[in-house]
Amino acid sequence: MAVPLVEITLAGAIINASVHFVPVGGAPAAMATSTGIGTGTTQLAAGAGFTGLMAAAIMAAQKGIVLSNPIHLAIILLSGAVGSMIMLALTMLLGQLIYVFGVGVVPAADKCEKDPITGDYQKSYITPGTTGHAIPTVCFISGLIGAALGGIGGGLAYIALKQLGFASEVAGIIAVGFFFMNAVLASYNIGGTIEGFHDPKFKKMPNGIIASFIASLLTGVIVVGMSIGI
Amino acid sequence: MSHGGGGHAAELYPENQVILFGAILAIVGMYISQFLPHVSMLIGGLLAVGATVAGANTTRRVAAYGLGTGVPSIGMVSLGLGVISTLAGVLLAGVAISQFNLPNELLYGIPIIVAVVSIVLGFIVGKLTVNPIGMKIPIMVESMTKLSLMGALSILGFCAAYAGGFYPDVIIGGAVKNGIIGLAFIAAGMAILHPFNACLGPNESHKRTLLLAIACGFITWFIFSIVKLDILSSVVSILLWGIVYREFVNQSLKDACCVLYTPEIPKKDM
Repeated sequence: MAVPLVEITLAGAIINASVHFVPVGGAPAAMATSTGIGTGTTQLAAGAGFTGLMAAAIMAAQKGIVLSNPIHLAIILLSGAVGSMIMLALTMLLGQLIYVFGVGVVPAADKCEKDPITGDYQKSYITPGTTGHAIPTVCFISGLIGAALGGIGGGLAYIALKQLGFASEVAGIIAVGFFFMNAVLASYNIGGTIEGFHDPKFKKMPNGIIASFIASLLTGVIVVGMSIGI
Repeated sequence: MSHGGGGHAAELYPENQVILFGAILAIVGMYISQFLPHVSMLIGGLLAVGATVAGANTTRRVAAYGLGTGVPSIGMVSLGLGVISTLAGVLLAGVAISQFNLPNELLYGIPIIVAVVSIVLGFIVGKLTVNPIGMKIPIMVESMTKLSLMGALSILGFCAAYAGGFYPDVIIGGAVKNGIIGLAFIAAGMAILHPFNACLGPNESHKRTLLLAIACGFITWFIFSIVKLDILSSVVSILLWGIVYREFVNQSLKDACCVLYTPEIPKKDM
């Protein structure tokens, strides 16, 4: 009982942290007038998180996988992380193609002078009146880290629910609800848009993690209570 | 995104009245689904629409402050909390009976247990959005509580209508194992978040948003009727949807006139 409770609490905190890494641009980014992917946090987190959840669930359903074996757990979590990363990487890549070749803007980050990874100057490429364009390297890498964490968090929640003895369908739908709850708490903490780990808003992350920690602990207690009869 | 600082349009009905009405309708619908399973989709599905309409009305009220993250976020959190509380209520009742030797009649109280769990969960998550996170919306806590309740009632309402009851074995076997709860999650979610998301902006009116909310609720009911292959409910729901949606389009055209006929701009500078 205690191990799944700890796992589900940690999973909530990890999901919350993951959302802070994803470069969410919101509506301005959809018009290529802001850095990031052009949709809301909830949709992005849901897209990447669900793919991770499914990848983890498929791995957990493979023959010979035992949930009590730590190495097998690590494989399930990695599977979730990779599934989630592929999903978000494709989203960012295709978005980038549309931004660069369709809209015709240069990828540029607004929140840093120089790209911390490539060292390229950013400010001179930003159109006046906008806050950056598309998905520069630093945002892409940040997004990949976020997706990996999201997949791990989703997978961990699913594993915890399976360890409590729920059927796969029940565990899956509770994990979906749990994922949305934590992703939206993170998105309220961000306040709409974020560029990645170089954004000043990233420093607000502890608040979000504390909120998710408490909410997940409460959910964990309810879920453990539900599992007593199984 | 936000309402654009447009403030609040006048309310046709007070919010609490709509919430009370929606909650009572949805709970009555669940009991009808339980005791009269042969009309569960026809009447239970219709009454579950009350919960989605009340949820859409609360979404309108809270999202008008400008959430900064888009209207869908609060709709999805309401359904996320709703699905957890629905399953919690259904399974906790079974646990209480098997572990603490409580009478079997406790199962009749499942809708009430679901409502209580969702109110507690929504209240605490609402508090968390205000305290460590720092949302500056004054009605955030009460709105999260109401939305969590409406999310739970709409999910349980549609699932009970589909499965023909809310007993744990009925609902787990008839609506969770086959994935219908996933449909309830997203279809009811759309019915809660879409109306205000579509109608927001200057000149938003309560009547138009409510009409769209009712239309969205009916189309959700229609989807469930189709999935259940219930011909009578399908016909009734699509007819009702047609009537309400036609009214919504008329109302939109009427309201659009108010925007279009602006006073003429003077041709010369005086």
